[in-house]
Amino acid sequence: MLRKTDSNATLFIVAALGLFFIGGLLTTVAPPLLDKSWSKPFENHDATKGPTGKLVDYTEQEKRGYAIYIREGCKYCHTQQTRTLLSDVKRSGWKGVDSPVSTPDEFVYDYRQTFGTKRTGPDLSRVGGKYNKQWHKAHFNNPRDLVPGSIMPPFPWIANNEQELDDLVAYLQTRGRSKDWRPDNDYEK
Amino acid sequence: MALQPGSNTAVAVATPEIHQDTTVKWFLLGAVGYFAVVGIIALIIAAKFVWPQFLGTIPYFTYGRMRPLHVNGMLFGWLLAADMGLAFYMVPRLCGVKLWSEKLGIATSILWNIIILSAIVTLLGGYQKGLEYADLPTPIAILVVIAWIMFGVNIFGTILTRKYVQMYVSTWYLMGTILWTAFVYLTGNFATLLPGMTGVNQANLNWMYTHNAVGLIFTPAGLAVAYYFIPRASGSPLFSHKLSMVGFWSLAFVYVWTGAHHMLHGPISQWLQTISIVFSVMLLIPVWAVVYNFIASMKGEWHQLSDNISLKFLMSGTIFYLLTCFQGPMHSLRSVNAIVSKTDWIPGHAHMAVMGTFSFFAMAGVYHTIPRIFNTKLHSEAAANWSFWFFLIGGLGMFTSLWLGGFWQGLQWNDPTIPFIDTVVALKPVWIVRFFSGIMIFSGIVLFMYNIVSTALSGGQAKAEPARS
Repeated sequence: MLRKTDSNATLFIVAALGLFFIGGLLTTVAPPLLDKSWSKPFENHDATKGPTGKLVDYTEQEKRGYAIYIREGCKYCHTQQTRTLLSDVKRSGWKGVDSPVSTPDEFVYDYRQTFGTKRTGPDLSRVGGKYNKQWHKAHFNNPRDLVPGSIMPPFPWIANNEQELDDLVAYLQTRGRSKDWRPDNDYEK
Repeated sequence: MALQPGSNTAVAVATPEIHQDTTVKWFLLGAVGYFAVVGIIALIIAAKFVWPQFLGTIPYFTYGRMRPLHVNGMLFGWLLAADMGLAFYMVPRLCGVKLWSEKLGIATSILWNIIILSAIVTLLGGYQKGLEYADLPTPIAILVVIAWIMFGVNIFGTILTRKYVQMYVSTWYLMGTILWTAFVYLTGNFATLLPGMTGVNQANLNWMYTHNAVGLIFTPAGLAVAYYFIPRASGSPLFSHKLSMVGFWSLAFVYVWTGAHHMLHGPISQWLQTISIVFSVMLLIPVWAVVYNFIASMKGEWHQLSDNISLKFLMSGTIFYLLTCFQGPMHSLRSVNAIVSKTDWIPGHAHMAVMGTFSFFAMAGVYHTIPRIFNTKLHSEAAANWSFWFFLIGGLGMFTSLWLGGFWQGLQWNDPTIPFIDTVVALKPVWIVRFFSGIMIFSGIVLFMYNIVSTALSGGQAKAEPARS
């Protein structure tokens, strides 16, 4: 049958688009209909069912910080996903406590997905509450002052702009906080 | 059986068509120029890995803004523009008619330049949309759609008025490129912005686009170029028509399913990950069918590699295609993915596909067509040969250093007792090798541009032998 497409452009177009649309629709339209966790915000108050907590929408300030994160292309070096790998759970952990893995329902309010494809710097999916604002200010000013050997670019135009620094840090402090995973509630501000 | 492009002369007219080729010239020369401009940005990025303070305190030149410019500039400014220019060259010849509208073609080229120049300004200004490969702000993305429609109308207009009834493989691939790209681009740039498309939903559409930007835009466009220029450059027919059909129709069906393999082990449904793995492995079918066909077409012609610049690029590109498309299915396996995903292995893999394979094919096409459409000879065969070796050695240096470094990095990550910063410091030698490989590649780009521009400038002055096609 496909041999006829050699000389019939209309038949060719129908066949090429038809085959494409089978996979195209089944992998884009179907999955969110089948897996509700993609669009339902995380909420769990029963510790026997896993990590507890509730995902809330971003505040105006956090949204401004989110926009800075996008503007500076942070996601090209920082992933935001604690994958189902033991090493990820350990690396996203903090002070001896393992981090919970990332689940789709934690990202429902993310108007720009920040999962990332490249991990040049560490993953940020659980960075919320690990460092305080003073640390971030010094780190943005010159990362190598705090982390020798780091290759992160300096961002003095953020560190020296009180408004932008507050906004960006506010956004960073939300990362991973919907799952209330620190047993001692020892989150930095 | 149209085994040699444009050779089904049973229906050919007595006088060959005189092709104006103005659109081809505009697109190809523009593409070659952007290749060099964006090449500088690529070098700056590579330098930043070794000297992180380099240009570091100027917001416009920070890594997070230059990387999307590098990606979009190379993909749209150089590679897609070159493939479009070559399509404007191939399709009229394969159809035995003139281009449907030369004016529309020139208008498309002008619009394309507006797109690329405004992309450079907006991306450095930080106005990126924040979706990988779809970083261009929405107004520019709308211009891309308009330009693509203009391109599609022109190519399909030419195909529908063709004199040769049977369509050659390259024509299929180009038609596929135009049709699939339309939907893939709309998905990545517009469907991702629909209400409710947040988080994992948006990521799934984003990866569908990102993956198919390579698989259903650059792969079919690049294979169209290779299918046309391998027989043209070697002067021998394509090995098998049937095998080319297997390759094409399996690509049409299999490729689109694999987007979720960018999120393996990540926060996306396990069953969708499994589907993407299964189809990723099936990609070996279209790839091996194509590669076997290319290699077999060279039977008895391999001696030409020594002095045929287009064939050098085409055949090395074919080998890189085989390798990169063996890596792809392998990293989709969960066990391998757990090591290489998110590491420096991935840019090594991606550059072998987009530079090693599809840019090599496009350069072969440009080296072949430019002397012919300017009715002259290539300015310097020696310089062309040097450019090839710069590309090949620089490319191999970059690929291998990133693979080895990335694999090592992945193994270190999998041992959580190693602090993350130690895994960064450990890669410094790899990034130094990558930077110097980049200098070699950039030298190749400069030689390529110099040769092409000199050839174009000498056009019409020296009366060369009449172009073959």
